[in-house]
Amino acid sequence: MKLLKNFLDFFLSLRTAIWLLLGLILMLFFGAVIMPSREEFSTINSTPLLGWLKDSPLGATWWLWGSITLLSLLAANTLLCSVESLLKKRQHRAWLLIISPQIIHIGFLFILLAHFLSSAGSFKNNAVAYEGSAFLLPNNLTVKVNDINININSSGYISDWAVNIEYFSGNEKIKEDSLGPNSPSFYKGLGIYLKDIQPYPLKAVLLEVTKEPGAAWALVGGILFMLGTITLLILKIKREPY
Amino acid sequence: MIILAFLSIVFYLLSLYRGFFIYPGVLMQAAYMLMRGIQLERLPLVGPHDTLFFLSSSLVAFAIPFTFSMKNKKQFISPVSVIASALVVFSLFAKAHNRPLPPVLKTYWFELHVSLSFFSYALFGIAAILGFLFLRYKEQETEALQYKAVLIGYCMFSLSMIFGGIWAYLAWGTYWLWTPKELWTTILWIFYSLYLHARLKKEWVGKPSVILGIIGFGITLFTYLGVSLLMKSSHTF
Repeated sequence: MKLLKNFLDFFLSLRTAIWLLLGLILMLFFGAVIMPSREEFSTINSTPLLGWLKDSPLGATWWLWGSITLLSLLAANTLLCSVESLLKKRQHRAWLLIISPQIIHIGFLFILLAHFLSSAGSFKNNAVAYEGSAFLLPNNLTVKVNDINININSSGYISDWAVNIEYFSGNEKIKEDSLGPNSPSFYKGLGIYLKDIQPYPLKAVLLEVTKEPGAAWALVGGILFMLGTITLLILKIKREPY
Repeated sequence: MIILAFLSIVFYLLSLYRGFFIYPGVLMQAAYMLMRGIQLERLPLVGPHDTLFFLSSSLVAFAIPFTFSMKNKKQFISPVSVIASALVVFSLFAKAHNRPLPPVLKTYWFELHVSLSFFSYALFGIAAILGFLFLRYKEQETEALQYKAVLIGYCMFSLSMIFGGIWAYLAWGTYWLWTPKELWTTILWIFYSLYLHARLKKEWVGKPSVILGIIGFGITLFTYLGVSLLMKSSHTF
């Protein structure tokens, strides 16, 4: 019983949160120093993080393991503190002021969940395609690249582009879509992005097919974080003495 | 057009004698950015010239409302004017980015992400100035105003990170990349989270939190200039 009480006291403490945040800053600081100097990190963005961590030497990744451990503790601390605060202060008159930090905390937890899902199950692959060519997606759909339109301005820079594609299941066309700058094509959980474009001698594109299972959770987390932050700011500023 | 930038420096230096001159100073900066924006047909927010200039004007623009609730305005306006002038001078030494934007930067997400980042950097700068004033004059109001500046800056910084994540997902297929800039940005965000949580405890209110607010601006400057100039990332100038 005493052990459980000590455990709860530790996780319900604001002091714990402060020390965990400090520890996390130190870990990330070491990471920011180590990362540019180690060759292993050149592939970190092209494979799911957890798989990459398993295959990489501990000498380069210890700070990432440390950060993940501290983040896990921080997530538990955040969750328990939020629940306790809501239970303790549910009768409080300034209800919105009490709940807005907890909305921020929930948003933060959603963002952590998003990172975990993406770290475990993201996918990335590239394909070079010419006008009229086709390639196969991991879900066995075929994508055909129809037109590649490139606008080049008077200074010789690419000012805009659009790529029209079609999705096929066997011989059956199931969807038409267009890729543009900041406008990928999404279908059945996969995203198709244009990474590079070549106007000469043959119009060609480098496409990237991605799956980011955490994206929707990150968006939900971001929206909650935003709502909580703006509400808290408005209410807190009103109460400040100066 | 460059005359407007020089005039802003002159007004900021005059504000060391009469605080009122900070207003024409920031107006000159706004006029310079407006004219540059019209010339480029976009918000001038790319490269060290434009961003240093934008940071300088944001610093002054956000500092002005803080003066309204201050007893001794002069002691706050003076360091703000000196830093704003220095930033304008540095920006004039940096080469202006006058080329059209690549297609991926032609989006509101980019403008929101960058402008909110620099608003928050400016507020963190204001917080640091207020921190130094507290250490020197020991006036309680400056400590409370520092907290206010950090709180508003933190909100804007969080929004900037969220908008940056949405834009990155639409542009590159991921809302997070492991690069030094992203790591330093996260360090900065966690540092100010630490500040806000620490200040909830009585023993941190006053000198300890004020010192945190000053250190935070050091991390801000490194995240903005150090990482962008020295390290390879999607945010390199």
